[in-house]
Amino acid sequence: MLSTTRASVRIARRSFATVVDNAGLKVASIESNQPTVSVTVLAKAGPRYQSKPGVAHALKNFAFKGTGERSALGTIRESELYGGVLSTTLTREHLALTAEFLRGDEQFFIDVLSSVISSTNYTRHEYEELVLPAMESDISALLADPASHAVELAHALAFRSGLGASLFAGPHSPVTAHDVQQFASSAFAKDNIAILGTGLSESSLKSLATSASSASGLTTSVSSYFGGETRVESHGGLQTIFIGFGSAGAPSSELAALAAYLDPNPSVKWARSESPLLQSGKTSARVVYLPYSDAALVGLLIQGSSTEQVTTAGKAAITALKGSTALKADDLKSAIAKAKFRLANTADTREGLINIVGSNVLSGSSGVSLESSLSSLDKITATAFNKAATTLIKGKPTFVAIGDTTKLPFADELGL
Amino acid sequence: MAGSALGISLAPYIRSSPTLTKIFTPIANWYAGGALYRQYGLLYDDLLIEERPEVQKALSRLTPRQAYDRAFRIKRASQADVLHAPLPKEQWTKPEQDIRYLLPHVIDVEAEIKERAHWDTLAVTRRK
Repeated sequence: MLSTTRASVRIARRSFATVVDNAGLKVASIESNQPTVSVTVLAKAGPRYQSKPGVAHALKNFAFKGTGERSALGTIRESELYGGVLSTTLTREHLALTAEFLRGDEQFFIDVLSSVISSTNYTRHEYEELVLPAMESDISALLADPASHAVELAHALAFRSGLGASLFAGPHSPVTAHDVQQFASSAFAKDNIAILGTGLSESSLKSLATSASSASGLTTSVSSYFGGETRVESHGGLQTIFIGFGSAGAPSSELAALAAYLDPNPSVKWARSESPLLQSGKTSARVVYLPYSDAALVGLLIQGSSTEQVTTAGKAAITALKGSTALKADDLKSAIAKAKFRLANTADTREGLINIVGSNVLSGSSGVSLESSLSSLDKITATAFNKAATTLIKGKPTFVAIGDTTKLPFADELGL
Repeated sequence: MAGSALGISLAPYIRSSPTLTKIFTPIANWYAGGALYRQYGLLYDDLLIEERPEVQKALSRLTPRQAYDRAFRIKRASQADVLHAPLPKEQWTKPEQDIRYLLPHVIDVEAEIKERAHWDTLAVTRRK
């Protein structure tokens, strides 16, 4: 009776957040019944807000280095003894410093995070000996991966400044340790950060709140969408093209549904899809849907070893993009279901949940719930979807080609 | 008394006592003047024995300007030594210029090595 052992085990999972505005500082604690807990300091300090190109990337790598309380080595060794994980994540808008650890160790890890945001030394020798090599390896990893490189270039074309700034410093960045220190002082200011805890009470997060400086936060300009075309010669990697469109303004749920509709990959693992985008397995295609606080980028990234197949798949991608302006009701229904599942699935992981709650908290909206985003997806009508798709595709396309540029197509050759 | 790769030094002990400081400061100043390195345009930290990993690491942490100036002083002193004559008096190091630009870095590096040894040999006890 094997089947009985697989009786449905449903764990009731409730995730909700309480947000408290603590004298200008936002503290949110998210209920979670996981055995480990986490604390994240989310700062509006992505490259979008940076004062000098590459300084956000440097700040990301400067996290958990020597502070007034303990050295870089001490931080690593001591957190290893506690068995926790310290990590940093940089997105175009936010820098997240996260500590994940066992329940009961919050005192140490909160102390680590508060010393990082308040008393990191930003010494020149640590910058040169520890931070720069880490940045260089990030940059070489980027250049070795045409997919991420294409998305980086697409942002520069699509948004130019602000969101267009690269996540990575250039290979010969003019940033100094002093620049990083100055950037950090406003990046970790009270009105620029939010503190998010999962599985922790607010009162234990409050001690972190007091360590934030009271300097003024960082500012940025409102994003606008431009679009354009670029081609980069590269050898060894896959032939890569990115075809995308962007929109300024808060991303609508129609765009999330559109991204779900465009995805050619089958929902069943190892299944073969007949989509012309995949050229029966000879090319890979994935949807790039990147919503930001005041803009969004939707596109298809196609990779393959031969330029001919990538070109054919690229033509199919444009047909798919143009086809989305007159979508059938059935297709819309499945696209919405797919988008809802994806959103819910992202919120299932701690990182995804923190991203969703964190960006809501930082933008100052109080109604933090997954349900509202899910129900807004439910409310999409065919006319609203088609209208959103038409406006998106009417804009100037963003086209990036990386690989053998003598053979890869130009945007107009694909019919853009 | 502080022992380190820099050698044994009584200076911290002397500095901790006002009386001893008063007695020894003139003697120290006379000795530094008499050691003649200032007449060759050097600073005291140019004389630190550099064939040691700690000092090599410390040298790598100098600013480009400090590293350039150090190389210049050492070259100029070597040339003066070849000529068997101190530099002209206006090129002598003035006592107020004789700052310990390398020592803080060496102390930092030593502290780092000591800390690493501490963490490497740490005995962990379970929390009660």
